Parts: sequence; C-alpha cells; structure tokens
Amino acid sequence: MSLPMPATLLVISLCGYLIGAVGSLLFMRRERLAAGFAFGAATLSGLSGLLGALFFLAGGAGVAPPQFELFPPLIPYIHFSVRLDALSAFFLMLVSLLGLAISAYSLGYAKGFFGRKNVGVLGAFYNALVLATTLTVVADNIWLFLIAWEIMALTAYCLVSFEHEIVETRKAGVLYFIMSHIDAGCVILGFLLLFQASGDYSFASLHNLGAEMAPGKRDAAFLLFLLGFGIKAGIVPLHIWLPAAHPVAPSNVSAFMSGVLIKTGIYGLTRVCFDFLGAPPLWWGVTLLTVGTISAVLGVLYALMEHDLKRLLAYHSIENIGIILMGLGAALMFLNTGHPVLATFALIAGMYHTINHATFKGLLFLGAGAVLHATHTRNMEEMGGLIKRMPQTAFYFLIGAVAISALPPLNGFVSEWLTYQALLQGFGTTESMMRLIFPLSGALLALTGALAAACFVKAFGITFLAQPRSAHAEHAHEVGPAMRLGMGLLAVVCVVLGLFPTQFVRLLDPLTQQLTGQQISVQLSAANGLVLASLSEKGGTVSTLGITLMAVCLLPVPFGLWLVFSRKTKVRRGPTWDCGQRGLTPRMEYTATGFSKPIRMIFKALFQPRRDVQREYDFSPYFATNIRFESHVEEVFEQRIYRPLRILILRVSRRIRTIQHGSIHFYLLYIFITLLLLLMFAL
Amino acid sequence: MNTPPTETSSQFITLLASLMLVVQLLLAVQRMLVTNIRLFALQSLLLAAIATVVACVFGAWHVLVVAVLTLIGKVLFLPWWLERLVRRIKIGQEIHPFVNMPASMLICGALTVLSYVVARPFTSLERLGSNTLAVAIALLLTGFFLMINRRKAITQVLALLTMENGVMLAAIALTTYGMPLVVEIGIFFDVVIAVMVLGILVFRIRESFDSMDVSKLNELKW
Repeated sequence: MSLPMPATLLVISLCGYLIGAVGSLLFMRRERLAAGFAFGAATLSGLSGLLGALFFLAGGAGVAPPQFELFPPLIPYIHFSVRLDALSAFFLMLVSLLGLAISAYSLGYAKGFFGRKNVGVLGAFYNALVLATTLTVVADNIWLFLIAWEIMALTAYCLVSFEHEIVETRKAGVLYFIMSHIDAGCVILGFLLLFQASGDYSFASLHNLGAEMAPGKRDAAFLLFLLGFGIKAGIVPLHIWLPAAHPVAPSNVSAFMSGVLIKTGIYGLTRVCFDFLGAPPLWWGVTLLTVGTISAVLGVLYALMEHDLKRLLAYHSIENIGIILMGLGAALMFLNTGHPVLATFALIAGMYHTINHATFKGLLFLGAGAVLHATHTRNMEEMGGLIKRMPQTAFYFLIGAVAISALPPLNGFVSEWLTYQALLQGFGTTESMMRLIFPLSGALLALTGALAAACFVKAFGITFLAQPRSAHAEHAHEVGPAMRLGMGLLAVVCVVLGLFPTQFVRLLDPLTQQLTGQQISVQLSAANGLVLASLSEKGGTVSTLGITLMAVCLLPVPFGLWLVFSRKTKVRRGPTWDCGQRGLTPRMEYTATGFSKPIRMIFKALFQPRRDVQREYDFSPYFATNIRFESHVEEVFEQRIYRPLRILILRVSRRIRTIQHGSIHFYLLYIFITLLLLLMFAL
Repeated sequence: MNTPPTETSSQFITLLASLMLVVQLLLAVQRMLVTNIRLFALQSLLLAAIATVVACVFGAWHVLVVAVLTLIGKVLFLPWWLERLVRRIKIGQEIHPFVNMPASMLICGALTVLSYVVARPFTSLERLGSNTLAVAIALLLTGFFLMINRRKAITQVLALLTMENGVMLAAIALTTYGMPLVVEIGIFFDVVIAVMVLGILVFRIRESFDSMDVSKLNELKW
C-alpha cells in the first residue's frame, strides 16, 4: 500500500510517539537515557508531523485528502481510520509544531526531576498525550475520535497529578478528571444524536448532516457539543479546571495543555459546526459570540488579579479561547445571513488566532517553566531582577508578552486585527437587532486587548525587572541550551507569523475551501503580499512588515538627534532619591498586587475585594510592631455556581446511598428486576 | 458449504436445547454441591453438542472451535476445579436458599413462560428450530434467579456459569455463524478468569468469616 507523502509523515510521527512512550518505560531505571529517548523521539515525531501537515496545506485546495486505516478492525463497526483533510491538517500542524518545540524544551526541563521523580513515567505519559492529541485531530471515525479523546483526558490527568505529593496537585487533578469526564459524556451524547440521524460511524457520513436532522435534535446536538468541547476549551463558566490544573502540572505539560489540548475543543467545535451540522441558525452564532466575549473579558480580568505566574497564564488562555470563539461565532452568523465570503474572513481570523495563541502561550508557559526551574517558586511577588540573571529567557518571554498583548508587529496583533475587521463589518450584514452584538463585542475585544497589555506589563515587569525580591530570585541562573532552543523556536514562529500574514493565510485556503467553499487569500493580500487587506473598501489595511521596516528606519533618528544636540549638556550620575530612608530595599518595590489595584477598584462589583488588616502595637497605633495584611478576591463562579452544585450533588448522593445495602443479593435483585422490567417494556 | 438445515438437525438441536433447560431446572432444586457441579458439566456438554451440530450442518468451522473450547473449559476444567474447591472447604450442601424448593420451581416456570413470550417476535430470525432463543433467555433468567436465591458463593459461581451457557446458546441460535470468534473467545476467557478469581475469593471469604455465606459480606460496609 503506498501512501502519499503527508500521510507517510503522519504515520512516522504516530509511530515515533509510540516508540518514545514504550522506550521511556523500558529505560525507566536509567533516567538520563529515558528522558533523552522519550523527548528525543517526541521531538523528531513532532517535526515529521509538522512537515506532513505543511506538505498537505501547501498543496492547495485541490489535493484529495489521504485516508487510511491504522490497523484492521478487530470488532465490526469500529474502524481505526484516519483522514488528513484540510481542517485536520491545520490542527496537525498546530499539535506537531508545539510538540516539536515543547519536546525539545523538555530535554532540558526533565533534568529538574532527576533523582526526585520517575522521569520514565513522565516521558511515557507525555508521548501518549501527544499521540492521543494527534489522533484526535486526524480521526475519521466516531469510535477512534472518542477513544483518542478519552486517552487524551486520562493521560493529561496523570500528567497533571505527576507531583502528587502536594495536596493542591491532587485536588486539581481530581477537578480536571471530573470536568473532563462531564465533557466526554456530553460529546458522546452529541455523537449519539448524530449517529441516530446518519446510521454510520464514519465522519464522511456525518458531513452536512444538519440538513437532514430535526431542528430540535440539531439544536440539542449543538448544545451538547458546545458544553462538551466548551469544557475542554475552557470557556466561562466551564473554565474552573484550567486555573487549577495548569499551574500544578510540570511546565512542559502545562505548555502543551494550554497551547494544544484546549485547542482540541476548538477543533471539535469547528468540525461540528461547520462540517457536520452545517447551515446554522442565527442563535448558534450569537451564542458562540456572546460566550466568547464573556470569556475574553472575564479571563483577562481574573488574570490581572493573579500573582501566581502560571495561574495568570492559565486565565489568559481563557481570554484567548474567547477571542477565537468570537471569530468562529461571527463566521456562523455570517453563514446564516448569507455572506459566505465574510464568514470565511471571520473563520480565518479565528483559525489564525488559534495557531497564534498556541505559539505565544506555549512560549510563555515555557518561559514560566524556565523561571520556575530557576527560582522554584510560582509567586511573582518573590521574583524580580531576573532579566540580569536569565537574559535570554527574559527576551523570549518578552516576545511572547508582546505577542499576547496584540502589539504590532507580532502575530497576536494580526489575528486580533482580523477579528476586529470581521466584527466591524458585521454590523451591516443583517437587519435584525442581533447586529448590535457586533459593535458591542468589538468594543469589549478592545477592552480585553488593553487589559491584556496591562497584565503583561505587570507579569513581565514584576518578574524580570527591578531587584530580586527573595533569595530564590537572587540565586537564579540561566537555563540550559535545550530549553532555550524550545523557547527560541516558538519565538521565531511568533515573529514569522506576525511579519508574513499574507503568506500564512494562503495555507488556510484548503481549510476555508473545505468548510465554507471560499478561498479569499488573494483578496486579503495587497501590494505583492506585503500588505494585509480586509475585504471591504471601508475596512483598513495593515502591513506588519511595513511597521517593522519603518521602526527600524526611524528608530535611529532620535538617537542621531540626541548625539548631535547633546554635546553641550553634561551628564551627572547620583543615587536614586530614597525619601530620606537609608537605602532602598527590594521590599519597597512596586508589587503585583499594588500594580493591579486600580483595576481591582474599577471592577469592584465583580471582584468584591476584601481585605483584612490587623495591627499590633505597644503604645501608639503609629508605631506598630506587627502588621498582618490579607486581601482576597471573590471567585464568583466557584462560590456562586459550583459550590451550591456540589452541595446539591452530595446531598442527593447521600439520599441515594440508602439503597446500597452492602448485600450481594440485593444488588443482584436490583439488576434482575431491571432486566425483567426492560424485557416487559420491550414487549 | 451453506446447506440449509434439514428438519432432522433442527429438531435435534431443539431437543438438546430443551435438555439444557431441564438440567437447569434440576439445578434449581438440587442441594448437593457436587451434584450441582456435575449437572452444570452435563449442561455444558449439551451446549458443546449443539455447537458441533451447527458446525457440521452449516459448515461454520469456527463454531467448532467454540465447541472444543466449551468441552475443554466448561465440561472438564471448571468442574474439576470447582470440585477440588468444594473438597478443600469441606462443605457439601447448600443449606438455606432464600426461597424454598417448590416456590423456586414455580418461579423458574414463570420465568420460562416469560422468556417464551419475549422470544416470540424473534422466532422468524432463528435458523435453528423455533425454541432455541426462548430456551437461551430462560437459561439466562433462571440462572439469574439461582444467583439471587443461593447463599453460598460457590453456587453463585455455578449460576453465573449457567447464565453464560445461555448467552452462548443465544449467540449460536440467532446467527448462523455465531458471534465473531474474537468476541466468543473473549467471553470464554472472561468467564474462566472470573471463576478462578471467584474461587480464590470463596476461599478468602471462608477464612475471614468462617462461612461461605455471602449475605454476611455486608459486614464489610463501614
């Protein structure tokens, strides 16, 4: 059997992960070898998968998607068939790119566990996770998809609870486990509804199935999938597992989870909404757009309140998933109102942001991992001054921070610009009141962007600038070459995706052709691909390359002027004014909590900040001997939704528990009576 | 290969199936453990015979594999293993079933009637005589009832095995070629392993509670 080039590369990549997982377990006793083997194999497999996806996408829309069976079916109906169509290839590119960079990084990162934890197990689960994620996005059969989906959830659980000695880790692991199974349940129910209509398990039979389904069932399927894939993607209010699970996982795993794993939710939603259900009612798009907007704003607001570096990044993932959903929701609305070209444009915005978020969030988590590796703390208030001690990590982190803050010329800017353009053009597409949602969500997207920038000023400033706030930070050191390579790779991708958007959009042509039947990369590029244009005349054009060139040309000008005119002035150096105290200490530096206080005050209604100050003094309150200060931010969703839900479930379970007699005969009797009733019922 | 079933072979299969049901009813009233085990072996032998007839008449040779497996596993190995267990724990009688003999006989009869009613819509699908599916369901239901009615762990194992015989019979009766071989072998090994585990468990229960009565297991709760 001869396979086309991309499929061959995909098979090589799948086998590579498998070999990496098995080898890692075999060499468990020799940790250096195990780590090298596992992450080396994963790196090469990632490279192979990436090349395969690029080959396929570069081939254009005309190439027939290769389809093959992994191994012959053991049981009737369950085919392990894989198909590399444009949507799968796009996500394969994303998984493999991140797999490549994160595995390279892990070669160095795993050394932190030597002698402390079993690295062989880490490598095996890591490879299994990447393998399952890859299979999820290329599966062409409901069974294979669900099996891969479940393996992905389980291996991710094992990796989250890798450092299970810590109570916090175990709690986060259980929370993730529960949430991911609710999500799997919803997805299974959704597929059952689809199967009922199609009568076949292959994805090909589900294509455009929505037209044949009863509207009620279609809507039910949409809601189930939204719930299921929404939990995986981490949309508000289903997001609570993200800020719990991402920080406690090893940093390479959190980079993979935040960069890739949550994107499988986006993959699922895109697959279901555009491929399977098709011809969406207006309210689907409105729902996605609303949910996306809420997630974006709330995600960034909660991120601002965090001073745990990795939790902060986790909340930013929620924000960015929101931005992606805004693109997808707008695309669904345009499809409904009969504007396929605009829908394609919005879809491109969403997909572009998907890969952008994967790269810069992967980069930022790797950077946070490097900081954690060097300082052994996640608390930003104990960092500071790291730019002197780890200059390269600081540089890469800065690139990630600029990209996620949507500043030109990096990639975050391009996709958020596209999303704006899509939203701004949406107002004129429909007469219904629903059009009001476009300017509203556009405005909120602007707010989100600004808040994200503020948040990363805080994250970068408090972590890397000023003086070290603790001994940990003082003794930090630069990380090894493998870790820098991983970060550098993603940083380069961030820059490339930012500078050459028109070239990248061309790779999306097969995808849009498959999902909306349009190819608009030519319309989007102007001036030989140097300028990215939006579709309408009234919309704008932007050239990140031009901005960069201009910056490079114009930056020397003020320096030249300064050189010319500063001859006469004299420079005098003196100590920083310290208000008359004796010397400045790191304790006087601006803190993360202090930095975010204005925003905490503005959004008081949401955060409901509480603070608790206790002073102890001997004779006068002005000369306190001891001050205790505590401040809290209300976790609205945990307190208002999940806590009552948990209490309710526990109460009902306690009631139900009375039928658990502990006697085998009663249990058998229950089953027997059920069986008899079912038989009678069947008559 | 696919010669249609002759009237004779069909009737022969029906006869064997009804004998299986008779053995099942005997199991319901028999108290001696060793006799119970031997009755089960006899029932399995009948099942193997049915499988052999099906294999020969339809030329479905993988059903023959099932027959051989049944013969080795359920006629020879498991009864031998269970008898050894009974000898080692030195308890020969099932003492107190929850429902007494005449009542359980009546209940088994009612269950058999029910299974005939349930199986009626499917009689047209059957290839092997009109009663086989009904008998299979009856085996399943009465096996289940036996499991609830008995106290001793070992008789429950036997009841489980008779239920499994019913499942196999249904598989052979409903489809000419049986289930796919993989599934059949899978079920078969499941049962063997389950019995081994239960056998060991029986031993442990006896050690911990000085009795084989599973109704004492609820002491494990809390």
